[in-house]
Amino acid sequence: MLVHLKYQKLLILNILLASFLGAFLLSSQAETDIINVTVQISVCGDGQIGGEEECDGGNLNGQTCQSLGYNSGSLLCSYACEFNTSACTAGGGGGGGGGGGGSYIPPAPPETKVTFAGRAYPLSSVIVLKDGQIAVSTIAGPDSLFEVSLSGLAAGNYIFALYGEDYQARRSSLFTFPIYITSGATTRVSGIFITPTIAVDKSEVKKGDNIAIFGQSTPQSEITINVSSEEEFFVETNSDNDGIYLYNFDSSPLLMGQHFTKSKSALNGEISSFSTVLGFVVGTENVAALTTNISESDLNNDGKINLIDFSIAAYWYNEPNPPEDVDLNDDGKVDLVDLSIMAYYWTG
Amino acid sequence: MKLLNGAKKKNIVDLLYKNLSYVIQGIAFEVRKDFGLVFVSLWLVLIGGLLFNGLGAKAAQLNFISQAQEISVNSQFQVDLVLNTENEAINAVAGKIVFLEDLLELKEIRDGNSIINFWIERPSLNSSAGGGSAFGGKSSILYSGIIPGGYLGNQGIILSAIFQAKKAGRLIIEINDAKVLLNDGKGTAAELKIKNLELIAQGDDIRNVSWTSPLDTNPPEEFKPALAQNPDLFNGQWFLVFATQDKGSGIDHYEVREGFWSRFIIAESPYLLKHQKLDKKIKVKAIDKAGNERIVTLVPVNPPWGLIKYWKLAIILIAILIIILIWLNYKRVKCLKQKS
Repeated sequence: MLVHLKYQKLLILNILLASFLGAFLLSSQAETDIINVTVQISVCGDGQIGGEEECDGGNLNGQTCQSLGYNSGSLLCSYACEFNTSACTAGGGGGGGGGGGGSYIPPAPPETKVTFAGRAYPLSSVIVLKDGQIAVSTIAGPDSLFEVSLSGLAAGNYIFALYGEDYQARRSSLFTFPIYITSGATTRVSGIFITPTIAVDKSEVKKGDNIAIFGQSTPQSEITINVSSEEEFFVETNSDNDGIYLYNFDSSPLLMGQHFTKSKSALNGEISSFSTVLGFVVGTENVAALTTNISESDLNNDGKINLIDFSIAAYWYNEPNPPEDVDLNDDGKVDLVDLSIMAYYWTG
Repeated sequence: MKLLNGAKKKNIVDLLYKNLSYVIQGIAFEVRKDFGLVFVSLWLVLIGGLLFNGLGAKAAQLNFISQAQEISVNSQFQVDLVLNTENEAINAVAGKIVFLEDLLELKEIRDGNSIINFWIERPSLNSSAGGGSAFGGKSSILYSGIIPGGYLGNQGIILSAIFQAKKAGRLIIEINDAKVLLNDGKGTAAELKIKNLELIAQGDDIRNVSWTSPLDTNPPEEFKPALAQNPDLFNGQWFLVFATQDKGSGIDHYEVREGFWSRFIIAESPYLLKHQKLDKKIKVKAIDKAGNERIVTLVPVNPPWGLIKYWKLAIILIAILIIILIWLNYKRVKCLKQKS
């Protein structure tokens, strides 16, 4: 009877403790690395005013020729979702002759097109992948802004990915998003903020010395650098007029062993995702980092990670005794993990 | 009466208060008596709490979507395998779709609008492995592939399968051995929840309802095959890689032709070239399930004769030679006329 009573009290005690612990766990959210990046997608041709569209099909957003400063006429909407005022007339008749005035420029026929706009790095290459393969590229302006279009597409679901190449041919991580392309409509994706590039000057840093973390982003932006191991460190610096940033991180507070670093950029309320993750070691000596940008996933050493590398890795998928260089995570086999690592470093 | 109810209420409250205080005193007494028990309790609660928190965490989800409301025997219906990544970017998927052979027949697989950009194991009718009675009469469709850069969303179609119900009863389509990996550079496996599909086929109204494929008149997307050579593949011999998509009916197969005098043969990427000297024009044809074709051409890297490589220069030189000959002939005729 005494034992039975004892375990009853134990049960009550456990319930009380569980309640407190449950409340604590549910109320404290673990920090994650997820950054919600918002791009604006508007479709010209869907009848809805979105993004930078002035009008869309028959939807003139309540505007008329008169509201745009003309006297009369019919306001039209072009296939680029901009007002077409060619059928609007300004002023009165003007004494009989010379009626009409000006020639009517017929609107361009609709095309299935997608336009990407955003910011990368000054005068950098911006490459667009369509379903994993290079579709088009452009050069950003001195202000790091870019705009590029892709036309002649079939309607359907696509996965588009963008990345930038900085002044030293370092590549950013992929900015990927799925889009449904509507036939005969122009889809505009704006607000793209390409992630910064990142590099370190040492693959191993002597504990207590500095390790330089640097790269490129959009000019005059706020760069947040994260160095993580068991404890996370966040430091901030600014990029210069060329978008280049540099931070000398003191390795004193870091434990000996492997660490990782990444960076993100913010400007005027816009924020990028985190860059690719770089690893370095805190040890007993300083070892300079390799200057090459080649990733282990570049199996044929052509400076790209694309269908050729994928084909080589896929050939050895689940096959016995694969070559060492194809086994990207050195676990003795080529499986989905190796292909996933390759997909992360993809360049097209 | 009211006074009685008020008194009754006060008594109940007093009783509860006294009981609670006795319980708390009893617990305090037990805690003082046996710290070890309390210590074990704390650990059990901590572990339980962590497990609970873990289980409550969001996970990616794989489930089937079917528009079919009523299934009858011999009718065909479409089932989509859909991925919801729940705020994580996923860049690699693999798994197996399993169904009973005597209840369901797989008619077609469509991957035209799949989020998978590159298939490692492309799901197809041929990839379905009939287990036969030894495996409980189950068939399976293997699939694995990657999405460079990752996919983040809640409506990612991996593939669509068209089934035909063969018998009345419970039709179960399962996902087995499924894996989805994060786009984190390490291939970390994401937590995954799976929801299998269960439909009921009615046998009372036997209709033969065929699934009609949407009209597709567009050829596959433009693409660029690439030549490559690597010691890890085909013993270092030259091979060809190619891949494209078709947003309508999906890619059916590829064909390759090497040289003018050969014919197209069915091929898969990577394709080992028969002519290793790279002196033949190579054509690659992508054909979708509706029969639309896209042909792309690779010019030979080492054309057979130098004259062909420099054919433009040769034509110009020949043209200049002809002009010179005509001019010389004109001069000769003029001279002869003057003499005469």
